[in-house]
Amino acid sequence: MELKYFILRRSLVIIPTLMGLTVITFILLWGLGPELIYRGINSSPKVNIPLSQQALILSQNGFSAAVVNGKLVFTNPIGMYFNFVSDLFRGNWGYIIGQPLTAPTLQAIEFYFPNTIQLAVGATVMALLIAMPLGTYIGARPNSASDQVGRIFSLSGYALPAFWLGLVLIVLFGNNGTAGFGNGTSGNTPVGIIPYLNIFPYFGNGTEFLSTTAPKGFFSSTFGQTLPTHIFLIDSLIAGKLNYFVIALAHMVLPVATVTYGVLAGILRFIRAGMVDASGQEFVKTARAKGVPEGQVIKKHIRKNALLPTVTVLGLLISGLLGGVVTVEIVFNYKGIGWLAVQAALNYQAWGILAITFLFGIILMVTNLIVDVVYAFMDPRIRY
Amino acid sequence: MEQNVMLNQEESQLSVEGLKVRFFTSKGIVKAIDNLSFSIRKGESYGLVGESGSGKSVTATSVMDLIPDPPGRIIRGKIFINGYNILNDLDRLVTIRIRKPTDVRIKRRKRLMKRHNYIMSGIRGDRVAMIFQEPFLSLNPVMTIGDQIREAILLHSRVEIANSIIKRETLNEDDVSKIADTLMAQPDNFTRKKLIVRVCSQYAIPELAKLFIDLFENSTDKEFITKELLSLVNTKKTGLSLEELEEARNYFLLMDRKHDLSLRLLEAEKQENEKLAEKLHLQIRAINQQLRSDYLVYSLKRRFLRRFIDKPFVEYATGRTLELLMQVNIAGPERVIDAYPHELSGGMLQRCMIAMAFSSNPQILIADEPTTALDVTTQAQILDLMREVNKTYNTSIFFITHDLAVIAEMCDRVGVIYGGNLVEEASVKEIFYNAKHPYTTGLMNAIPKAERRYEKTARLESIPGSVPNLIDPPTGCRFHPRCKFRMDVCSEKKPKLVEIEKEHKVACFLYSDEVENEIEEEVP
Repeated sequence: MELKYFILRRSLVIIPTLMGLTVITFILLWGLGPELIYRGINSSPKVNIPLSQQALILSQNGFSAAVVNGKLVFTNPIGMYFNFVSDLFRGNWGYIIGQPLTAPTLQAIEFYFPNTIQLAVGATVMALLIAMPLGTYIGARPNSASDQVGRIFSLSGYALPAFWLGLVLIVLFGNNGTAGFGNGTSGNTPVGIIPYLNIFPYFGNGTEFLSTTAPKGFFSSTFGQTLPTHIFLIDSLIAGKLNYFVIALAHMVLPVATVTYGVLAGILRFIRAGMVDASGQEFVKTARAKGVPEGQVIKKHIRKNALLPTVTVLGLLISGLLGGVVTVEIVFNYKGIGWLAVQAALNYQAWGILAITFLFGIILMVTNLIVDVVYAFMDPRIRY
Repeated sequence: MEQNVMLNQEESQLSVEGLKVRFFTSKGIVKAIDNLSFSIRKGESYGLVGESGSGKSVTATSVMDLIPDPPGRIIRGKIFINGYNILNDLDRLVTIRIRKPTDVRIKRRKRLMKRHNYIMSGIRGDRVAMIFQEPFLSLNPVMTIGDQIREAILLHSRVEIANSIIKRETLNEDDVSKIADTLMAQPDNFTRKKLIVRVCSQYAIPELAKLFIDLFENSTDKEFITKELLSLVNTKKTGLSLEELEEARNYFLLMDRKHDLSLRLLEAEKQENEKLAEKLHLQIRAINQQLRSDYLVYSLKRRFLRRFIDKPFVEYATGRTLELLMQVNIAGPERVIDAYPHELSGGMLQRCMIAMAFSSNPQILIADEPTTALDVTTQAQILDLMREVNKTYNTSIFFITHDLAVIAEMCDRVGVIYGGNLVEEASVKEIFYNAKHPYTTGLMNAIPKAERRYEKTARLESIPGSVPNLIDPPTGCRFHPRCKFRMDVCSEKKPKLVEIEKEHKVACFLYSDEVENEIEEEVP
């Protein structure tokens, strides 16, 4: 199959991009300076030792550092770069120490990133479920009343900042107690101003009350076994604990709704524009002249063509979401990768910052690859 | 007069009466077609010529009721397809309120429009088919050729397909031996071949036709042939459950019947025959009831499991698609069927369009400049193909072009259109050798001819001026500003299309004084 080679070829393009990404990450590392790097070099670095000794430890770990004018500085960038890259690919990403947690960086990402995936995928799926039929409907009736409503809806989605919308949703529906869908913490403090509707927890993803200990071994302590995905929704199902699943679901409602609104706005506009564009084309007339019923003309002929540009936008949106919906995660105290990024930056966690930069780059590359492949699948005119 | 019209409808396949099409734009109302009438007889090929912007394509699209709305609308007229007026419910579909020419409010009645579309979708492609100017743009770029032709087949001949599949599945030894008998009894190979092809498509095994023919050529032993036939047929049986197939068949029958009844209902409503309308309405309701109760499960299955349910139908349609592609002389139909439009040349695509148009043997084929975008040799091939099809199926062809050479090749009768008005109509011979209307003669003189180079005046004549702006058309005869023989009356009154010789109609005051009574309605 030609498609196989196309995918292979596109994947190979990743390699030079990845090298570029490591260079940028390395420049960042250089900029952060040896002191910050030293702090996360192993799980318990001795901070109060002389600088020369710190330089020695750094050198032992592949970072050529020296004391110049009473200050710790990096030397020999070339050798350091190669050491850094080999460390990066061996999974030696340093440590995050103290705030927000103490763990190897890779492990922290392993812990937080699935939460973001859960949020991003959930929001994308929701947005698609709503935008596809809605966009088809209004795109088939341009300039009608429903189109105007849809336009206002999608424009407002663009215009409203996600953190503000999140706060409003909390005010309307939030509940930080047992009255909602069972939150393990004590107390019953609905904040929502709509009676009977203030049922959705707005704090975290539901795992908070299960364990307050460090993330390591968290899942095994909760479910009595190590679970593969680290995504609470799925793990609770695998473990067969429906009550946890309901809790996880309830915690997803508000953040997902917030993110969905923004994503939906983007997709809706593109589907609508694609529909309007495609319905003016000649082949639609052919389809009608064949006697295809109107509904099928829209679904089969017009929408198929309208979705092509949408795929590109969707790819960009998803990579943006996976890169952390920072404000939403902060508002809902939802411990995803965006939250981790903010915490790492606030607490001078050099390794956390490096790792997340690198991760974002990889996410962008992979989603681009996927978009290209999906596009090639959908549009036969793409030569591969 | 009234009777004359009726008679005309009887023998005509397509007739258009008093068609008026308007485009409501922000610059004003474009009076694209004004009082256009013509009719096309059975098996005839009728050409419509005119400059660009004269309303040719609008006429063609109107016949299919495919005028893009907004901005366009047919506001008056009758279009009879096989004697059925597709514009029966025209007056009730919309109310048009004109405040200013640039500010027109159109109120659409959605329920009625939905019904209109439902009825039209059963007529389009089934009784009338259309091929377009730009084959590159006219096919869906993300669907394979096969998919698009299959779609057309599956839309209109579902009952027939179901019947032949049922026939195939119930084919037993006795039937096969009977078929063998009849085939053996044929006097010569040629008639036998024809019969084999027909039988094979009747029993939904078109792909076996070749093997059958080989078999009969190689052997005359009846027993051997019967055995072979049976084994061949058995390889094609899919063991589908008969009940399911019959259910599908009955469902399609019911759907077709519903369409038929709705069609008659519209006619009855138009004639204000309330009794009949009531009766038809009740029948339709009964069918709806039946669809909801007896066929609920089946229709749900069709909705959600279509891919699995329609499999035998799609297989049949694939066979038929190959057959159609072969008929339009496409090389390597097996390859073309899985190709996407961008992988084929313009000529190939136009052939595919023709194959698609003929998938349900329409009685009328509308060809809207089908050869304009093609080069000359391909053009000749496509024209040949269309003529062949016109002969074999006795299909009427409504041919639209600005190319008079093509008209001379293709058509029996010609109408000349100018500014949305038919100005002359005659047989092709009359038009070329005895053109009456100044516009037609102008067109004739504008044809480049090789011999003219050697004449004294080596100039290509042209008609001065250009097509009028139809938002504000010239008064009276629309051609008068460009006419060499302009008289005073021309700018005041509109000439009527009058038969001045047998089968030769002209709308010009040079030949007749009859004036077209302009019915100035509230809707212009």
